[in-house]
Amino acid sequence: MLFSVISVIILCVLLFPLYWAFITSLKTEQEIFHNPPTFYPHVLNSQSYAAQVETGDFNMFRSFANSFLISVGATVIAVLLAVPASYGIAKYRFKARKVMLLSFLVTQMLPVSVLLTPMFIMFKNMHVYNTWIAAVLADATIGIPFSVLILKNYFASIPKDLEEAAYLDGCNKFTAFIRILIPIAKPGVMVCAIFSFLYAWGDLAYGMTFILDQEKRPITAGIFNFMGQYGTKWSYLTAFAVVTIIPVALIFIFMQKYIVSGMTSGAVKG
Amino acid sequence: MNRIKKIFRYDNVGMLFVLPAFLYMLIFVGYPIVRNIILSFQDVDAGNLVRGTKNFIMFANYSELFKDGVFRTSLWNTLRYTVLCLVFQFIIGFILALFFNQRFTLAKPVRGILLVPWMIPVTVTALMFKLLFATDIGVINYILRSLHIISKNIEWLTTPGSAMFALICANVWIGIPFNMILISTGLTTIPKELYESASIDGANKVQTFFHITLPLLKPTIESVLILGFIYTFKVYDLVYVMTSGGPVNSTHMLSTYSYKLSFEMFKYSKGSAVANVLLVILLIVGIFYIKVTTDGEED
Amino acid sequence: MNAIRFDRKSIRNQLVTAFVFTSIIPILLVNIIYYYNTSKLVQQNVEGMTKANLEQTKVSLDVWLDSYEDIAILDSPGHASYMEMGIFEDLTGKFDVDNYYEGTVNSCTVDGKLYGVPFGVNCLALYYNEDMLKDAGCEVPTTWDELKTTAKALTTDSVTGLALCSVQNEEGTFNFVPWLWSTGATSYDINNENGIRALTFIQDLVNEGVMSKECINWTQGDVMNQFISGNVAMMENGPWQIPTMQSEAPDLNWKVTLIPKDSQYSSVLGGENYAVINGGNVEGALDFLTYATSEEKVKFLMDKFGYISADKTIAENQFEADSPYAPFVEELNYAMPRGPLAEWPSVSDAISLAFNQVITGTATPEDAAAEAQATIDGIVK
Repeated sequence: MLFSVISVIILCVLLFPLYWAFITSLKTEQEIFHNPPTFYPHVLNSQSYAAQVETGDFNMFRSFANSFLISVGATVIAVLLAVPASYGIAKYRFKARKVMLLSFLVTQMLPVSVLLTPMFIMFKNMHVYNTWIAAVLADATIGIPFSVLILKNYFASIPKDLEEAAYLDGCNKFTAFIRILIPIAKPGVMVCAIFSFLYAWGDLAYGMTFILDQEKRPITAGIFNFMGQYGTKWSYLTAFAVVTIIPVALIFIFMQKYIVSGMTSGAVKG
Repeated sequence: MNRIKKIFRYDNVGMLFVLPAFLYMLIFVGYPIVRNIILSFQDVDAGNLVRGTKNFIMFANYSELFKDGVFRTSLWNTLRYTVLCLVFQFIIGFILALFFNQRFTLAKPVRGILLVPWMIPVTVTALMFKLLFATDIGVINYILRSLHIISKNIEWLTTPGSAMFALICANVWIGIPFNMILISTGLTTIPKELYESASIDGANKVQTFFHITLPLLKPTIESVLILGFIYTFKVYDLVYVMTSGGPVNSTHMLSTYSYKLSFEMFKYSKGSAVANVLLVILLIVGIFYIKVTTDGEED
Repeated sequence: MNAIRFDRKSIRNQLVTAFVFTSIIPILLVNIIYYYNTSKLVQQNVEGMTKANLEQTKVSLDVWLDSYEDIAILDSPGHASYMEMGIFEDLTGKFDVDNYYEGTVNSCTVDGKLYGVPFGVNCLALYYNEDMLKDAGCEVPTTWDELKTTAKALTTDSVTGLALCSVQNEEGTFNFVPWLWSTGATSYDINNENGIRALTFIQDLVNEGVMSKECINWTQGDVMNQFISGNVAMMENGPWQIPTMQSEAPDLNWKVTLIPKDSQYSSVLGGENYAVINGGNVEGALDFLTYATSEEKVKFLMDKFGYISADKTIAENQFEADSPYAPFVEELNYAMPRGPLAEWPSVSDAISLAFNQVITGTATPEDAAAEAQATIDGIVK
């Protein structure tokens, strides 16, 4: 009980900026600029939410579907490539291992501003520019190295005897990997999938650069409807943030039992 | 036959697992890195971009940089920003991970909700914090004033020192869930039996933490720190939106300064050189990480 | 559907792409800029506008589509930088600009050759909150001294007297130069009595609390928001804010006047120019320009943007005498362009840095002027 109370306090402190975003979305612009600030909207402004649905050629629902498609695509690529790679790095001692591990780190190191132009040209040549594939390919480059680094610890912590037992049962290296190791590493894989998904979901630079048509763009593109040379429209912008967060937040809260579920339920016992 | 067998020796099979991901990254990110390095040794700017009169000037861009006051500030800023952010978000994240590892009703739902800051595009988060830290209309000043902690509004984003502090706060806020979840996952790899036998042996909580949790968590901690370091070190959008490197260039980071040089002042090569300094520092950290993590493991 | 893509930053993107293929690939990589220049994103508005425009006309769709990589709109001070790169078509003799304001034509001319067509102009002027002035019993200020006195009288616990966008980039420089020029200083000659007087004046406003230090984080749009929310009594801003102000705060009583002067009235010329990318569909682009600069279309565009036509004849009849835009047309007489100079971005950086230093109190006006001068001397020999 005490823990629950503390956890609620932590929640309140950490999520205060979110609360502030939420009430800002319900205030009028004049109230947002009011000094001193108000802790709840004195005049309710629902205009900001109505505006989400009807801003020019920006279609909230379509953008949402685009974002979902892009994020799932990037997650699938990241997981499919990163799971075997992390297993390889964790369990085998081949020569190029350190170099490859380093390369996963290095590829994370350039700021996005430096990556955009060359990637743009590459996608143009690959004829995927202005399609969701370009965004998927680019977003996956964030998820892969991240997942490799996290998952390799997971695979490393799986005892060797388990693998050996699988060989005795007639598995080869690949079937042992798929049938025995992946199920055990499931919580780790889930976490990597979630972060890959979130990286892709929050991405703005790639989605905006590699997709030109508004109707193919991810939902983050909508931010720019509310920021411009006429100043930031705070209520619209925050309403936008609220609307875009809710569905994702719900998905993750419902998936809680799969996340960080612990290995106790798995095959590892001591 | 023998040679083929040798290639498929036990350990080399591992390479086959890694190769697809490796090639993928090489294709999509390797090229930009190479291009950026070449560019930094040239003298490309607005003037000769199209005329095609660019020359290789070798290290001139770099030696100019080290004479540049703003560059030195951004280098120092990037370092202290990264270290301070890492320390706070890691410690808070770690404590929260341990806390939510306890069994109580709200543990899982609350931990799930705490991930929400991660779902917001950084641009929006940065704007949000800009509003929170505003001098007159900002709620942070208002709360501090109401609690009588301060008597006069703090000019958060318009004074050099406090602007940095505000940036760090925003970044720590984004970083906490990241650290918390990764450490939580790490904690699940520690077999429960170890704790049971430790408590049978009469070890108290502090002892089990230092003798079981920490050592077994070491690989996770290393990964979290290195990833955190890289992501924080190349921070871009957060700083750009919140302060644009101001006031008076006091919060420029290597990444924002690189952007400013390349895209606002059209000094492309110089901007690339700044990005490469960033790359080199991260590379050294990366090599150090690999050395620490792979030394002493069984071969 | 993408018609001709306008974006003042689009050209920058082309440049980014350019050094990979050593020739110009006129791709409007507008998007990078979406991401970075979060403060001045006009694309959405522009896109909406071009579409509405498109529907109104009978211009064949093909022209639009073919030429969308052939034309650009860019901020006038940046124009010179791009002209230097040789990516714009020489329009001398191909387009008649005799009737345009001289300053605007200068901003797209190099060595007597015309490399662009002015899209529309604007300048900065002083907005004031009529009710606040009346309540404080103040007259409309015309000189710096009057401005300071008025601003002091208007400042209360929740209101600051004056605000002007002071961010450390081109936008800030745009707002600073009228003050600099009003003393007789030029953009390239700051370290003298005049330049220092301008810096001192701004610093005093901040130190005396009549201008918020937060201006360094406020874009012109943010300044306008503060003004219509009643947190600021007077502001320096441009005419493009008027449409928003009228729709967001219809009840607010405000008026526009000339920026108060030190030794002479002064304002800064802003606005965008069209440029035609060479090697592309030049004919289509020219055809588009002729179409887009016809009186009817110009009026439509200027209204949408809150701009003033660069074409004198159109500008003079553009507004009624009591229109809030009218003072801007008067202010145009005192407005000078920045540059044109290929290295303007670096000069601009030095100027905005100097003003930011005095506003934040990190340097004295003398030191700031000297530092800026040293930088500028290194650029302009």
